[in-house]
Amino acid sequence: MQLTFINGSPRGAKGNTARLMDNFVRGFLETPGASCAVEYVAKHRTDLAGLKKIFYASENVIIGFPLYVDAMPGSVKEFLDVLIPPPQGAAVPALGFMSQCGFPETGHLRFVERYLEKYTKRLGASYLGSIMKGGGEGLHMQPKFLVDKFENGLHSLGKKFGETGRLDKDDLDRFAYPEQLTPEQIGGLLPYVNTRLWDEWMKENGALERSFDRPYRQ
Amino acid sequence: MKILILNGNPDASDTGLDDYIAELGTQLAESGNDAELVTLREKKIRPCTGCFGCWIKTPGTCSIPDDAIELAGRYLAADVVILASPLVNGYLSSLLKNAIDRNIPIIHPYLEAVDGEVHHLKRYDRYPEIGILLQREPSTDEEDIEIVTDLFKRMIINMRTTLKFLEFTDKPAPEVAHAVNIH
Ligand SMILES: Cc1cc2nc3c(=O)[nH]c(=O)nc-3n(C[C@H](O)[C@H](O)[C@H](O)COP(=O)(O)O)c2cc1C
Repeated sequence: MQLTFINGSPRGAKGNTARLMDNFVRGFLETPGASCAVEYVAKHRTDLAGLKKIFYASENVIIGFPLYVDAMPGSVKEFLDVLIPPPQGAAVPALGFMSQCGFPETGHLRFVERYLEKYTKRLGASYLGSIMKGGGEGLHMQPKFLVDKFENGLHSLGKKFGETGRLDKDDLDRFAYPEQLTPEQIGGLLPYVNTRLWDEWMKENGALERSFDRPYRQ
Repeated sequence: MKILILNGNPDASDTGLDDYIAELGTQLAESGNDAELVTLREKKIRPCTGCFGCWIKTPGTCSIPDDAIELAGRYLAADVVILASPLVNGYLSSLLKNAIDRNIPIIHPYLEAVDGEVHHLKRYDRYPEIGILLQREPSTDEEDIEIVTDLFKRMIINMRTTLKFLEFTDKPAPEVAHAVNIH
């Protein structure tokens, strides 16, 4: 089976989407005969027509992106918009999506997911499903056993996709956990993220004292 | 009131939305508002690169030196911001989405609970209310409207403000002006 993975993260191969993608693709390639090409929207920004050609030459496509203000980044919308209408006489590949976001709950991604399914219908493609996962930014600060669980989850989604050509709804739901957090879980998590993630990053850049700057007058 | 209208129509040859916005601007000015119109396709606003410079290097200011820097100031100075776009494949134009993505410097990276979910802290005391003005495309159906309305409601929570209205350009401009003027 042939797959083209189109990664729409503005951070390209260094981003969190790439980390999800890599594990998924590793699992996918375990099936004999499976082949996968990876493309980056950011690299094709001045040549979206070229990326459109690659899209329509594919059998299966998964488009991955980080959640930006509750939807796809503007640069990914540019790409989605060039795909419609399909070139005359072109076969439309089966289409799925992968998205992750900074906030820990996968629930944030469910709204854009509905859009993506409708978009796939507009395109006239058959919908493979959407791999959705919250907590993509905090990955590097999580304990190893959680990172392993995360990476193994993607690996097995990819492996099963290679074997069956489908993304199973129950598998996707299981991988998406947690959909929401309890107030207690949120209360426990936030101070940790604010000090261990954001404060550390600001300190590295000598910006912590300016954290609450308001450069614009109101 | 100070009103900022962001015109997200990418296509200068399709004057439908531009003409509508011009009329809306006139209506708003005639009812005593200070209405400012920005045509995004005439500005240089590159897509966000996800560098987080606006949060961890120069807190509150984007690291990409283009027109988005000044636009954030105008956004914050307004009482109401109207985001106007044609629906393009069921969502707003990439032109307007890029401008919205570039506006995250106005919030703070810290997380806090908002209505039982994780969101970001405010950087400023107040933010403009948001009005959404959309132009239908021939394929627009009820499902599209539901999806896009929900996406905007979510966006508004993340921008730490409130949705004043969501209207379509099939409604006459004076009625939309009225929706802006009521408190
Ligand atoms: C402009 C911008 C907007 C974002 N909006 C959201 C959002 O609405 N919800 C969320 O959970 N995370 C949001 N994030 C966080 C990203 O989704 C998160 O950092 C993601 O892991 C980045 O993936 P990448 O490294 O593949 O680009 C936003 C990040 C940026 C830069």
